[in-house]
Amino acid sequence: MLSHPTMKASPNEQACYVMLEISPSKDLPTSRLPLNLCLVLDKSTSMQGVRLQQVKEATRQIIDFLEPEDTLSLVVFSDKAEVLLPGQKNVDKALAKSVASTIQPSGGTEMLQGLLAGLQEIQTNRSDMSVNHIILLTDGRTYGDDEECLKQAEWAGLNQISLSTMGIGADWNEDLLEKMADVSGGSSTYINTPRRIVESFKATVRELSTIVAREVSLAVDLGENVLLHEAFQIAPHIRRLEVNDDNMIALGPLGTNNRKIIVLELRVSRTEPGTKQLLRLNVMGDVPTQTRLQSNNWTDITVNVTDDPETEVVIPPVIITALGKLAIFKMQEKAMQDMASGNIIAATQRLETMATRLLNLGETELARAALLEAGRLARTGSLSSEGRKKIRYGTRSLSILPKEL
Amino acid sequence: MIKCPFCQTPHVDGTLFCSECGTYLLDDDQRGTDPLGTSEIGWVGAPAEDPDAAGEYRGTGPLAIRLTIGDHKRVVEIPLNKAIHLGRLDPASDVFPEIDLTNDGGLEKGVSRRHARILKREGIVVVEDLGSINGTFVNGKRLAPYLPETIASGDTLQIGRLLIEVELRS
Repeated sequence: MLSHPTMKASPNEQACYVMLEISPSKDLPTSRLPLNLCLVLDKSTSMQGVRLQQVKEATRQIIDFLEPEDTLSLVVFSDKAEVLLPGQKNVDKALAKSVASTIQPSGGTEMLQGLLAGLQEIQTNRSDMSVNHIILLTDGRTYGDDEECLKQAEWAGLNQISLSTMGIGADWNEDLLEKMADVSGGSSTYINTPRRIVESFKATVRELSTIVAREVSLAVDLGENVLLHEAFQIAPHIRRLEVNDDNMIALGPLGTNNRKIIVLELRVSRTEPGTKQLLRLNVMGDVPTQTRLQSNNWTDITVNVTDDPETEVVIPPVIITALGKLAIFKMQEKAMQDMASGNIIAATQRLETMATRLLNLGETELARAALLEAGRLARTGSLSSEGRKKIRYGTRSLSILPKEL
Repeated sequence: MIKCPFCQTPHVDGTLFCSECGTYLLDDDQRGTDPLGTSEIGWVGAPAEDPDAAGEYRGTGPLAIRLTIGDHKRVVEIPLNKAIHLGRLDPASDVFPEIDLTNDGGLEKGVSRRHARILKREGIVVVEDLGSINGTFVNGKRLAPYLPETIASGDTLQIGRLLIEVELRS
């Protein structure tokens, strides 16, 4: 779908937006792929009490959800990691649950230890068909091993292991967890209250069980005088997409009930009357039940160019809604950048403006959070750790789009 | 090139939203803002001159407020039986203020779509800024967002850069 199905002829550069939806073809096999799942759980002292209780409950529910061909392993970490349940198929559910219930809180938070042990388990148990995934839950900041964690996450991504990173409470490092999820093709979640642990775990595992294609990517072939300015994923949540040198955009795994909606922002120059080809798109993915799949037909996207000044350009409301939310997300990104570079005044103003936009959308709660943080920023020069996460994860999940494009 | 009306950042033709402040950039094309006369927007519910109807309004204090808006001295009188929102009409984002300041030069004077509201609390008339970009002022003093401030007859209310004179009617 195009923002400007008709463009005015002009020698100048013009902006144009392409919104597209990617969903699995009906021809793809719907049989469930076996999961190769590892739970890497933080058992540091701060997890004591209701947090750990909920984690155990969530683990028990996941164990119940598994099918005989799924593999599950369980790793806990504090200062060091411990494999509680080595990966096995046809998990003895009663035994696994009793193992999970023995977790005792102690020690600090060293994420790398847990991550390494988890990756090891996944590697041992993987098969060509399996969906390899680690759910990593932490409530604290890891010290000194951030960079190495990120490296391991990148390695995981290259080896078809995706990470779901979940942070609970206010003390974890959202930059790191979000990056780790992004580079590995997974997603990160902000759990603001322990009561949501069970729900988040279940949602993730349910999502995994619907995966039909891994490493899906979008190839973009641009027409003459067309540049790809920026690319964003709008749904399931908003995120900035990296475009590599070959104009390929990696999108991660694709599930049967996980439609991806992408917006490409184009810059078109020197438009002349007639039909103009903007770009060609192709989606590729690795479907484990088949050989590497590549849809051979490229989809052409063209636009009418007119020099009639009377022509009214009607922009589809769906695109306006989506871009409006995207605009707020981008402001959030910029506010965080302003803050990182020490420009407190600019960051404060941006948060205030953002609050107004959010109010206009009826997002009262998020707007209040933004205003509150703007006030705090102006007074103290920094955001509260919790407010930061609220705004970040709140703006990310702004996008609620109509069912059909 | 087009310019954002709020922050003046230049953008490529056809850009839909300002990347700096999130403003919808096609607002200029009088999108959806139909001119509304005083008579059409002002009165909600029963007219305040009717003493019987007025008697039904809850609370005490002034019954209506008369606002003299901007350079053209447009006069609006509205009963205070419910909150009165001031801003710019924008059906696209579902904003329908009781007092639409679009035709009073609202955009140029930095009026937000949801800018401020006036309401009566326990007989006292207050104005509350709704987190507007350019602020709401009473007699030159900027209000903290969401913090109601008392207003009285003779006060000057400033919405962004738009001046409004206030008169309370009993």
